[in-house]
Amino acid sequence: MVEIVPRLLKDQLSRLAEKDCRIDDRKRFERRDIELEVDVLTNAEGSAKVTWGGTIIYAGVKFALREPYPDRPAEGSLMTSAELRPVANVKYEPGPPSPESIELGRVVDRGIRESGCIEMSALCIVPGQNVWNVNLDIHVMSDKGNIFDACALAGIAALKTTIVPAERYDVGEDYALPVNKMPIMCSYRKVGGRFVYDPCEEEELGGDERVHITLGDDGHVHSLQKGLKGSFSTSDFAEIFKNAEEQASELRKMVEEKVN
Amino acid sequence: MGGYGDVELITGEGKRLDGRLADELRPISIEVGVLPAARGSCRMTWGLNIAEVAVYGPMEAHPRKIQRPDRAVLDVRYNMAPFSTSDRIRPGFNRRSREISKVTAEALESIVMVEMFPRSKIRVEIEILCAEAGTRCCGITAAAVALADAGIPMKDMLVSVAAGKINGVVVLDLDKAEDNYGQADLPVGIMPNTEELAFLQMDGDLSPEEFNLAMEYNMKAAKEIHKLQMDALKSKYEGGDQ
Repeated sequence: MVEIVPRLLKDQLSRLAEKDCRIDDRKRFERRDIELEVDVLTNAEGSAKVTWGGTIIYAGVKFALREPYPDRPAEGSLMTSAELRPVANVKYEPGPPSPESIELGRVVDRGIRESGCIEMSALCIVPGQNVWNVNLDIHVMSDKGNIFDACALAGIAALKTTIVPAERYDVGEDYALPVNKMPIMCSYRKVGGRFVYDPCEEEELGGDERVHITLGDDGHVHSLQKGLKGSFSTSDFAEIFKNAEEQASELRKMVEEKVN
Repeated sequence: MGGYGDVELITGEGKRLDGRLADELRPISIEVGVLPAARGSCRMTWGLNIAEVAVYGPMEAHPRKIQRPDRAVLDVRYNMAPFSTSDRIRPGFNRRSREISKVTAEALESIVMVEMFPRSKIRVEIEILCAEAGTRCCGITAAAVALADAGIPMKDMLVSVAAGKINGVVVLDLDKAEDNYGQADLPVGIMPNTEELAFLQMDGDLSPEEFNLAMEYNMKAAKEIHKLQMDALKSKYEGGDQ
């Protein structure tokens, strides 16, 4: 099928790009308004809701006891999954997880896991026998663009508010999940030949390749992902990487104010 | 029904564990237009339950074998988020959610004027974000509001509510403990203007007298909830900037 609308949209976005404009009047590296709420779901051990422009994400944390992996007998584990449910947009069909849905879950997971933000040794109950598995489930309710960043933000905010339910499982006293770092993801989309930050729905439909950068507190990079068709120069990348450092520190402040 | 009739759920003064009287609902709030990507949407909190519903369409029905030449089909999904219950739920459909999706679709097809949109489908996505007994009622009630918010023509509203029996007493709107240890549960879907039933389930044990009282409670509650549905829809279009 020839995709007529994206074709026309692409032309419009290119014309706007020549004048350094965006379809929703933002500057190149300007993001949409964000509202972050925490502890919004009573049955989750930690939770957050992110309203990022018209994009809405919930994240919830649940625990389960299990035997540790043989090579790490005194460490718990983290499982992050993000679901692109058909509730989120008319374009998502029901059925088994699509490649896009799996990519989203894995990219968000890598950013959080590789930052080492959770002290896995604090999730051990009896070494070699009993440890906690942390399930971070991210639920996309409304996709109006840039769900990657919104999912990552909801995920880390939910973890930051999590209480380990030890009493309910009869393995000691409840305690706050130790989350010592705050990985933040920043996503860029090539639109009309140049990268923009925080793409909206139209920019995703009529844009080209995307790049996701997850940065830790110390400015170290913890995950990178390039998606979709297209290529870019290393100087393009240097520009967005520098911008990501600024965006990440702003978002980090926002989460810190909410959870402390 | 758990069937443990010996668990004390009603105090000496006839109050339930959360302080409600027999015919009292849990607190309810309804909001429309909450999901920007959807054509129509609704968020409903009912006690500790949270449901959010998105409606898409009418759109072309595919695969073609689901098309009906004389009407639209409703493609309804009821889904519980993994973090919605005390033990995590594995994502994906199970027998319970499939059955609830089916009866919900059939209830909503009874009120939507499906004959206006031949060969098309209307997608209704019900997401349960927090579950504390009564999620199917919450989902159906919210779905009817989301359909109205999407501008889909309907013959009537639909309110779903449940009455049941705990410690031998008929009560309205069972909470989690009452659902676990109660003796009966009677969820219904009521069209508030005609008082017809578009949805009906029941499990447990009720005498004909108890059934009649439970239906009376449901009917009265449906009128109350219907008012909240209409207020939510009106508040979106009244008193705004227009």
